[in-house]
Amino acid sequence: MSAKVKNNDLFASTGRKKKRGASLDVRKARAGWWFVMPFILGFLLLYLPIIYDSIKYSFHDIRMLTGGGFKLDWVGFENYSNALFVDPNFVQKLGEGVTQLILDIPAIVIFSLFVAILLNGKIAGRAAFRAIFFIPVLLTTGLIAEIDASNTLANYMGDSEGIDTGSGESQVAEIVSVMDIELLFRDMMIGTELVKYVAELVNNIFNIINRSGVQMLIFLSGLQSISPAIYESCSIDGASGWETFWKITLPMVSPMILVNAVYTVIDSFTSSSNTVMKYIESQSPTAYGDPITSAMSWMYFLIVILMIAAVAGLVGAFVFYQRKD
Amino acid sequence: MNHVETTTKITKETKNRIRVDFERTPLMERLKAKFVNTFFFKKVLVYLFKFLFLLGISYVILFPFYSKIASSFMSPSDFVDVTVRLIPKQPTLGTYKAIIADNGYGMAFLNTLLLSGACAILQTFVCCVVGYGFAKFRFKGNGLLFLLVIFTMVVPHSTIQLSMFMKFRYFDIFKIGEVGGLFNLLGGGIFEWINILPDTSISLLNTMWPLIIMSATGLAFKNGLYIFMLRQFFKGVPDELEESAYLDGSGVFRTFFQIILPLSVPMLITVFMFAFSWQWTDNFYSEVFYTIGGPTLMPDIIKVPKSLDTKYAGENMYVAAIRNTCGILILLPLLILYSFMQRYIIQGIERSGITG
Repeated sequence: MSAKVKNNDLFASTGRKKKRGASLDVRKARAGWWFVMPFILGFLLLYLPIIYDSIKYSFHDIRMLTGGGFKLDWVGFENYSNALFVDPNFVQKLGEGVTQLILDIPAIVIFSLFVAILLNGKIAGRAAFRAIFFIPVLLTTGLIAEIDASNTLANYMGDSEGIDTGSGESQVAEIVSVMDIELLFRDMMIGTELVKYVAELVNNIFNIINRSGVQMLIFLSGLQSISPAIYESCSIDGASGWETFWKITLPMVSPMILVNAVYTVIDSFTSSSNTVMKYIESQSPTAYGDPITSAMSWMYFLIVILMIAAVAGLVGAFVFYQRKD
Repeated sequence: MNHVETTTKITKETKNRIRVDFERTPLMERLKAKFVNTFFFKKVLVYLFKFLFLLGISYVILFPFYSKIASSFMSPSDFVDVTVRLIPKQPTLGTYKAIIADNGYGMAFLNTLLLSGACAILQTFVCCVVGYGFAKFRFKGNGLLFLLVIFTMVVPHSTIQLSMFMKFRYFDIFKIGEVGGLFNLLGGGIFEWINILPDTSISLLNTMWPLIIMSATGLAFKNGLYIFMLRQFFKGVPDELEESAYLDGSGVFRTFFQIILPLSVPMLITVFMFAFSWQWTDNFYSEVFYTIGGPTLMPDIIKVPKSLDTKYAGENMYVAAIRNTCGILILLPLLILYSFMQRYIIQGIERSGITG
């Protein structure tokens, strides 16, 4: 790769001598193409065919031939209609996944913003806290998440005191019980739905921390970019911390809130721990997938796109952009 | 005219030092004014709340690790002992030894190190180049291309799982569907419409190539995110830096390699760390591209070693503990790496300054 880029470098410098007429902007635009070339090549030669094949497979039945190679049989929309109308669970799982996500987005975004603000402020052991808070996003992924899931399963299978993964899904690891909170909130006329939601969030705190690592990172760098002079002038004018948060911090990080909301949707929709993804994977008889999973996940993908558009539209209406010029 | 303050008195005077005593408010009064008021109380309370909150979350994060580490040292009899919860009574290294000896940990470690290292370096470099291209150059289609990057992030894994497998099982360049294809054309079959002849394409399964190819083109796991992060980072780098380099006669690529790359090292390390650890613990691609008979990778070591006997009362927990020990062995190299890189990662975050 690097050798190729260096060749381009040579090419660019000799080319410039010949074409002295090309303006700096034109030359820069040309260089820009060279920079993004790896992605363009990969997208055109690899990704687009893969996407095309995937759509095609979802309309076919696939048969492995004994001599190596495979045969495709056109079945039309059969895979899709099977998933939607024959499969008893798919639609229900889809609904579950989307509801769960709608509930999770605000929790993850608010939590990561909150923690980012705390980690940005002056506090004893800030470096240590920061190091700890980025452990889950780096380490508790893929294989480790798989192991954790099987731990939870082992807990369910009978041993009352299993290994605590903190995932909060086992009875033992429950931090607060819904009953306690209901007692606490009984006279406050809030409604049991909200109480259950909060209790579930607290119990799923490990999950939420796990999924808000990148968001925290984005918020932290956003907070870093706010000029301290603004805060200084605020405190001179006598604004309290509360007012500063609502009038300065929140508007200034609102572009990041948009980015994070969209990223949260993408991340939780495409993570393999998602209910729908788990279900889709369980439907495939082989490790590498099946036409029916392709069909299911294309429908799923359409919902993802709709969700992203909805979230981007909703959050985008409240975003404040600071004028640079 | 020569009014002297009566409240000061000189207590001691030497050649070049004078000690003067002011009549000040007594110490107790001063401390009271400073510390016994609502403002100070509020500050302390908020600080305490923040600290305890962070401490609590850290506990939630770290406790599972502790619990796993503790159970990895437990001997089989500890799992049926009700009094043993977090500290093993008969600590043993047997689980670790058995896993390292029986499950081929050394082989898996070397293979995964090679694979993750190569992929992470490639991904970091490619995403850096592409991100820089998106951030600093205005060319036609910049926005649209970046939208395509986001698109590669949005498509779920399982959507392209099958076709990705097929792509690399019957690998051929310049092929869309069954039409075309460099190797196919060279192999003689100009238009093979339905069947793909096995000898006109290569199977890249069980080799490093699928992941290397995907890394080199910025399509591997979460590469869209890296491109996005680096693009935002480069947008924060002032244009004046490059302009002065151009004025001094440096070309675009030279400026990139000699000026931009060195100053973005912390950010590059952050991306490298993400790429490396996500590849290290990856189970999606290894399941798709590495079938039975392929090289031993990290997912292959998660099983109960043959030499350990698990058939007894505490079986479920013992097996879970063994699996967790495998997890710890997988994570250990990453933790060591993280402890070294952590400083740069924080730096990278602080400097990235993402703005919308």
